[in-house]
Amino acid sequence: MTARQRVQALLCAGALALLAVAAVGDRFWLQLFGKAMITCIFAISLDLLVGYAGLVSLAHAAFFGLSAYALAGLTNRLQLVNPLLTLPLALAAAALAALCIGWLSLRAAGVYFIMVTLAFTQMLFYLFSEAPWFGGSDGLYLSQKPLLSILGRPLLDLGNRTAAYLFIFAALVLSYFFLSRLLRAPFGRVLAGIRGNEQRTRALGFSTARYKLTAFVIAGAVAGLAGYLDAALYGFVNPAELGWRQSGLLLMTVLLGGRGTLYGPILGAFLLTFLEHYGARLTDHSSALIGAVVILVVLFLPRGVAGLVERGGRG
Amino acid sequence: MAEPILELRGLSRRFGALRAVDKVTLAFERGRVHAVIGPNGAGKSTLLNLLSGELRADGGSVHFRGEDVTRAPPDRLSRLGIGRSFQTATVLEGLTCEETLRLAAQSCLRSSMRFFRPSDRYPEVNARAERALGECRMTARRSARAKDLSYGEQRQLEIGMVLATSPQLLLLDEPLAGLGHDEALAVVDLLRAIAVEHTLVLVEHDMDAVFSLAAAVTVLVNGKVLETGTPAQIRASPAVREAYLGEEEP
Repeated sequence: MTARQRVQALLCAGALALLAVAAVGDRFWLQLFGKAMITCIFAISLDLLVGYAGLVSLAHAAFFGLSAYALAGLTNRLQLVNPLLTLPLALAAAALAALCIGWLSLRAAGVYFIMVTLAFTQMLFYLFSEAPWFGGSDGLYLSQKPLLSILGRPLLDLGNRTAAYLFIFAALVLSYFFLSRLLRAPFGRVLAGIRGNEQRTRALGFSTARYKLTAFVIAGAVAGLAGYLDAALYGFVNPAELGWRQSGLLLMTVLLGGRGTLYGPILGAFLLTFLEHYGARLTDHSSALIGAVVILVVLFLPRGVAGLVERGGRG
Repeated sequence: MAEPILELRGLSRRFGALRAVDKVTLAFERGRVHAVIGPNGAGKSTLLNLLSGELRADGGSVHFRGEDVTRAPPDRLSRLGIGRSFQTATVLEGLTCEETLRLAAQSCLRSSMRFFRPSDRYPEVNARAERALGECRMTARRSARAKDLSYGEQRQLEIGMVLATSPQLLLLDEPLAGLGHDEALAVVDLLRAIAVEHTLVLVEHDMDAVFSLAAAVTVLVNGKVLETGTPAQIRASPAVREAYLGEEEP
């Protein structure tokens, strides 16, 4: 098998396994795999920036969190439960925030870009922790989960565990196809050029700043999708979701899985979700366990878990 | 005299107290190879960076086909028809030759803000990339990763990238620098073929190459134009000999 076929086989097997979880319908597994899939969507959106556009952003949790808060606000204050309304509005909020933060932070390059994105994340974290109308550090519960009904009959009820799980699954499949198409399209090729050599790509006639900002906004919107799903799955949002720790953990997920591959961060997301869950059962210091795994992977698998898949699992 | 495609009027750029380019007035004619030579530190690279928009001028102006483009950024100049190659190999890591040229050829699309159809399914992009691949004589190496190419091949690809943007004027920054004898011959041959259909501005150290390729030569010394003329006139000029050629030719 070629590396490409191996990846496709792995993704198909993974998708079938995820559907099998839905068929079994066990509450615990639906929750754990649902959470893992949300992390997958979140991680592949960051991979667009880190792995393809060469932008290491620590602001990514902000778009996840803002979208989650947008859903909470729309549900609790405006009694909007229809996902056909709340989903586009939450994504628009994330995209708008990404446009503003990206427009300002992309003026800086390299390590300064990382610092500016970190500063924005911290600002938002304190804003949401301190301001009472966002629930403060306790966060907010959703008064109702998104519900789509036509003529009084429920069509999609995210309060239903299996429905929510399948909705998340569909969102992951769509996000993956959207991003992999995007990367092969002219837009994605320009990003590849920017990663290779931005100055050269600019001299070929591409306004690289605009392409980077557009990538930042698209990645922010997809991160917003993950945040929306997270709030819908748990019915709860809290400020930690938009803090820099969340951004840092996500960056680790992408590096652990293998940046610039799209499927690598998916593997990383599953690996970290399970490490977190089972690590917490084994020891009170699961963060140390995760840290050790990350150090080992970075030292011995510089291209992440994806590097293993590409070499066919041989050393 | 043919109509100038690019005109510089009193173009200047200083770095601190150094006048790197000092009130340069020059006209590059359409359809010609015009070389810019000069000793190290004469301001050749600065001049090229001013023309391609990598640097901003402090004074004077640049006119491309009559339009003032003094303040235009590099991407806009490329879209207007001024393509430039870089001296240091700037091939795009991770891409193959074919992918690299297809990216350059995407400049024929009105915008590359296209998110769905794969880039290899745009017939006009493919056609342009294929033509550039042939023009830079890299067809046999299409699937090679750009970073695995030899130094000479990287230069050819670099020139191919410029050609794929369909420029009206090519600015070439020392296309022969660092090449071995055979590689340099191949690139000179390539440049001669390109010159048939294109206007070239060539910044170069290699005197033999310059005198065999160029129809006009400008000598730059201390940021100023010392003399402009045909290769024969430049060779015969006592001022040039003293300022520049004397060091190289006994």
